[in-house]
Order: sequence, then structure tokens, then C-alpha cells
Amino acid sequence: MEPKELLSIIKGRRSIRKFLEKKIPEDHLRLTMEAGIWAPSGSNIQPWQFVLVRDSGLIKKIKLVSPGLFGNPDALVVVCVDRDRYEKAGKIGYTMSIMDASMATQNMMLMAYGLGIGSCPIVSFNKLAVREILELPENLEPVIIVSLGYPEEWPHPPERRPLSEVVYVDGYGKHYRG
Amino acid sequence: MVTESIIEDEHFKLLTFLIVSARGCVDEPQLYGPLRLIDAAERLIDLMDKMGKVNDRLREIRETIRERKFSVIREEAEFLKLLDDLVLKVSRIIREVPSTR
Repeated sequence: MEPKELLSIIKGRRSIRKFLEKKIPEDHLRLTMEAGIWAPSGSNIQPWQFVLVRDSGLIKKIKLVSPGLFGNPDALVVVCVDRDRYEKAGKIGYTMSIMDASMATQNMMLMAYGLGIGSCPIVSFNKLAVREILELPENLEPVIIVSLGYPEEWPHPPERRPLSEVVYVDGYGKHYRG
Repeated sequence: MVTESIIEDEHFKLLTFLIVSARGCVDEPQLYGPLRLIDAAERLIDLMDKMGKVNDRLREIRETIRERKFSVIREEAEFLKLLDDLVLKVSRIIREVPSTR
């Protein structure tokens, strides 16, 4: 793959909040989640557990307690972190697990985009309620919900802060001019 | 007894949305509070619509919310303008009601 192709996938992914009524093939969901488990993780702890939700009734229930979940996605991936795993990384374990779960989420969203599937990462949901609805054990904390479905439209990208503003070279203050 | 139909009940959906949003607002970005409120307003208009209580003016308010609510993610000023526009739209409805004295 050309580097530009990868960059175009990264740039092309959008947060989708309006979905078509169309089923995602099982093998595409599998590929999406497979991309998730290939994310890096601190000390290779792989603290994540994913709950794939395909049952439309269950999606409705989760939507009820998730103000940040817009549209009617075909599937959800509830990304959880497992305390029994991240505690092995000591005091920094929890923070690291959130970073790891985020990287897994990004992998899944990029893979989904590559398959023509829209996604949105959602943090505005009630953890207690989702835990209750999905009957999650105490060691699992749901941290991100990824909604998946075919987009009604691919929205325009919001503006990005330019590299010259975001990047400093060799210490704070000297702006990147590349 | 909880029946399956309750999760399809529009009043129950709004009720749940309000409760979980209340909890979410404690931790979420400040502007998500107004976002949840106008989202609830949109849902309320949907409900009123099913009860035959929606006129063109309310439909227009609902459309305005639908089209512009995600400006909260892009541009704060644009979102605040939306909130002001909505206030104006409801104020005009109120103003046009004939005064009783």
C-alpha cells in the first residue's frame, strides 16, 4: 500500500450519526474487530474486551441510555477494559488501558471505513446502565461504544488545526514549518 | 411488571434520555448540557407530532435543531447562534398569541 493510501483512509473516516437500514455482513464485522485486537497495548496487556451487539432490541435498549448515540446503527461494539488485566500494569494500568482501548477503537473505525462502513466513537453513555443491560461482570468497565452501519452520507470533515500550530520541533516554542 | 413495549414507548424514551443526560451532564463538556436539552426538545416535538399538536412553526423548529445541532462539535459560535435562533422562534410564537388583556 502506498503511504498516501493509508493517509487517505485516515483522513476519510468520519463520525457517522445517520445510518441506512442495511445489514453489515458478518465477515466485515469480524475483520473490524480483528483490526481492534491488533492495536498496540502497554506491556502487551491487551486489556480490552469487546461486546458485539447485533440484536436490534438490545441496540434499542443501549440507545435509550446513551445520549451520544445518534441514528440507528446496525451494530455496536462496546469496548470494555478488564480490571483483572490492567491491574497487572500497576498504578499506571488503568490510564494505559484507556489509551489501549482508544487505539483498538481507532483501528476498528479505520478498518470499518476501509470496508465502506461508517462508525462513531461514543463516550456519552451511562456506564452503570450499559453494564446493567449487558450484564457485564464487575471487572469489565465499558469505556467506548462504537456504532457501526452504512452511512446515509459522509459528512464534510471538520477543520483540523494545522501542523504548524500542533507540532513543535526540538522543544516547545519552535513551530514546525515542514 | 415491565413489558417489552415500554422501550418503544416515546414517553419512556424521553424520560430515560432526560435521566441519563442529567447524570452525563455532571462529567461532560459544558456545551453538551444545552445539546441534550435541544435534543430533548426535538424528541418532545416528535411526541407532540404523534398527538397532533405540531404546526408548521414547530416543524420548522425541529428541522432547525436536526440540521444544526451538531455544530456543537464544529464551532461554538455557530451552536450558540442556533440556540439564540431557537429562542427567537419560540418567542415569536408566544408573541403572536393574542393577549387576554
